[in-house]
Amino acid sequence: MTSFNVIRWIVWKDFVTELRSRETISSMVFFALIVILIFSFSFSMDQQAAREVIAGIMWVAFAFTGIIGLGKSFSTELQNDCLEALQMVPEAKGAIYLGKVAANFAFMFVVEILLFPMFVILFNLEVVEEISLLLLIFFLATVGLSAIGTLFSALTVQIRAREVMLPILLLPLVVPVMIAAVEATKGALNGDPLAMYEQWLKLLAVYDVVFTVVSFWMFEFVMDS
Amino acid sequence: MTIHRVIRKVQRFQGWFGGGAALCLGAGLYLGLIGSPPDYYQGEVVRIMYIHVPLAHTSLLGYTVLALGSLWYLWKRDPIVDNMCQAVAALSAVFTALALGTGMIWGKPTWDTWWTWDARLTSFTVLLLILIGYIMLRTFVDDHEKEARYGAILAIIGFVDLPIIHFSVEWWRTLHQPQSISMRGVSISSGLLAPLLCMSIGMSLLFSYMVMVRTQLLYLDRLLHAKKGRLLSQFHLSKSDS
Amino acid sequence: MTNLSIRWGGLLVVTIVLVVLTYNHYQDNITSLVPQQVRKEAPTGEIRVLGMVQGRTLKTREAGEATFTLLGKSATLPVHYQGPPPDNLRELKILILIGTWNASTQVFEARDIGIVPNYGFIAGAYLLGLLPLALFLFAMTRRVNFLYEEIKASKLYEEK
Repeated sequence: MTSFNVIRWIVWKDFVTELRSRETISSMVFFALIVILIFSFSFSMDQQAAREVIAGIMWVAFAFTGIIGLGKSFSTELQNDCLEALQMVPEAKGAIYLGKVAANFAFMFVVEILLFPMFVILFNLEVVEEISLLLLIFFLATVGLSAIGTLFSALTVQIRAREVMLPILLLPLVVPVMIAAVEATKGALNGDPLAMYEQWLKLLAVYDVVFTVVSFWMFEFVMDS
Repeated sequence: MTIHRVIRKVQRFQGWFGGGAALCLGAGLYLGLIGSPPDYYQGEVVRIMYIHVPLAHTSLLGYTVLALGSLWYLWKRDPIVDNMCQAVAALSAVFTALALGTGMIWGKPTWDTWWTWDARLTSFTVLLLILIGYIMLRTFVDDHEKEARYGAILAIIGFVDLPIIHFSVEWWRTLHQPQSISMRGVSISSGLLAPLLCMSIGMSLLFSYMVMVRTQLLYLDRLLHAKKGRLLSQFHLSKSDS
Repeated sequence: MTNLSIRWGGLLVVTIVLVVLTYNHYQDNITSLVPQQVRKEAPTGEIRVLGMVQGRTLKTREAGEATFTLLGKSATLPVHYQGPPPDNLRELKILILIGTWNASTQVFEARDIGIVPNYGFIAGAYLLGLLPLALFLFAMTRRVNFLYEEIKASKLYEEK
C-alpha cells in the first residue's frame, strides 16, 4: 500500500462512515444555524449594522462548527481501538494526517457551502459578483483551520477533558486565520477592490503552507506510541 | 546517570546566576528610579518602562528557549530537558502576565486607558493564552512521556505561529486605527538606555536562575514520587509474598 | 534552612534600604500645597503648588512670559511665569508650579512648571513586576529545600 493509497482509503472510510451515520455534518449544520439565530437575537441588527458584523458572525459560526467536526474526527477512532490500528499502518504517519485533513476539509467546506445561502437570505446580502472570490477565501481559510485542527484533534483525543482542550488549544493558534478570513470576507461583501484585501488572501495562503508542513511533520510525534 | 551530572552542574552555577541577577536588578533599580532623569514628554511615568520592557523581553526569550528545548526533547527524548521546558513554560507565563500587567499600568497615565487593542498587547495576550494552554494540556495527560511529547508539539506549533499572529494583528490594527496610540513614540535616548540594559540583563539572569530552581524542583518532585512508588510496591510485594 | 533565611533576610534588608532611599529621594516632590493653603499661610521661600489652569485666563507673550489663574478647590491664585512657556502649559490642565509667593503683590512667581508625576502608577508597576517574582522564587526555593530534606530523611537513596 503506497502512501497515496493510505490517504485515499482514509478519506473514503470517513466519507462512508459519514454517509451511513450522517452524524458529523448534520450536527455541524444545526449547531451553526443555532449560532446564527443567537447572534441575530443578541445584536438585533438592521441591514446597515448587519453588513458591518456579518463577516465576523459568519466566521465565528464556521470556526465553532469546524471544531465540532474536528473533535469528532479522531474521537470516532477511539471505538473498537481504531486509533491503535491507525498507528500500526506501516506507511508514513503523514499519510494518515493528509487523509484526515482532506476529510475534515471536505466536511467543513460542505457545511460552509450549505450555510452560506442561509446568511445570504437571512441578512439580505448581494453577492452575485463576488461569489468566486468568497469561495477562494472559504477555501484558503478552511484549509488553514483543518490543517492545524486535525493535528490538535489527534493530540487531544487521548487526554482528559478533550472536548474543552481542543478549542482552548486551537483558537489562540488560529487567530491569524480568523482575522484574515473576517477582513477578506468583509472586503468581498462590501465590494471593495481586490487590492484592498489582497494581503489577507496572501496571509491565508502562507499560513496554509506553513502549517500544513509543520503539522505534517509534528503528526509523526503525535502518533508515536 | 547523565541526568545527575547535569543537575550537579546546574547547581554549581546557580548561585552565580542568582547573585548576578540581584546585582544587575539592584543597579538597574537604582539607575531607573533615582539615577536617571524623567522623560521630556512622558515625565516620571517613563520609569515604568524600565520594569515593563525587560519583563516583556524576558518572556519572549523564555518562549524561544521553550521552543528550542521542545525540539531537543522530540529529538533526544531527554527527560531533564522536558523538566526544563515545563519550568520555562510556567515562568514564561508568569513573566508574560506581569509584562501585560505593568503595560496596563503604564497605559493608564500615558494613554488614559487601561487597555487598548494595540498590536503588541494583543499578540502578548495570545502568547499568554498559548502558554496557559500548554500548562493545562500538561496537567490533563496522565502519562509522563506523552505529556512531554504533546507539550513539545504545542510549543513548537505556537512558536511557528507567533510571528504570523504578530503580523496579522499589526495589519489588523493599522487597518482599524491608523497610528493613534503606539509605543513607537518612545525613542530610546542614551539616558534611558543604561537602566534599561541593566534591568534587561538582570531580568534574563533572574529568569535563568528561576528556571534552574524550578527545574530542580520538578526533578526532585518526580524523583521522590518515583522512589516512594517503588518503595510502596516493594512493600506490597513483600506483604503478598508472606 | 539557615542558609535560606540568611540569603532572603539579606535580600529583604537590601530591598528595604532601596525603598527608603527612593522614598527620601522623592519625598520633596511628593508633597505640594494647594492654592487655599498658600492664601492662608502665605509661606516664604520656594514652594510647590498643585492646581488647575483656569479656562480662558492663560495669556502668553512672545517675549517668554505667561500669566494665568491657578484654580484650587476654594481659592484661586494669579500666577506669573517668566520664560518661554512649556508645552504642558495649557488651559484646564492640572499642573505643579514651583516658585515663590509674593505676599505684597498677591502674585505667585512661578519658576518652573511641570506635569503632575504619577508616583502611584510607578510604585504600582514596580510592585506588580517584582513582588510576585520574589514570592514565587521564595516559594520555589523553600520547596526545593523541603524536598531535599524529605529525600534525605526517607533514605530513598539507599539502594537495596
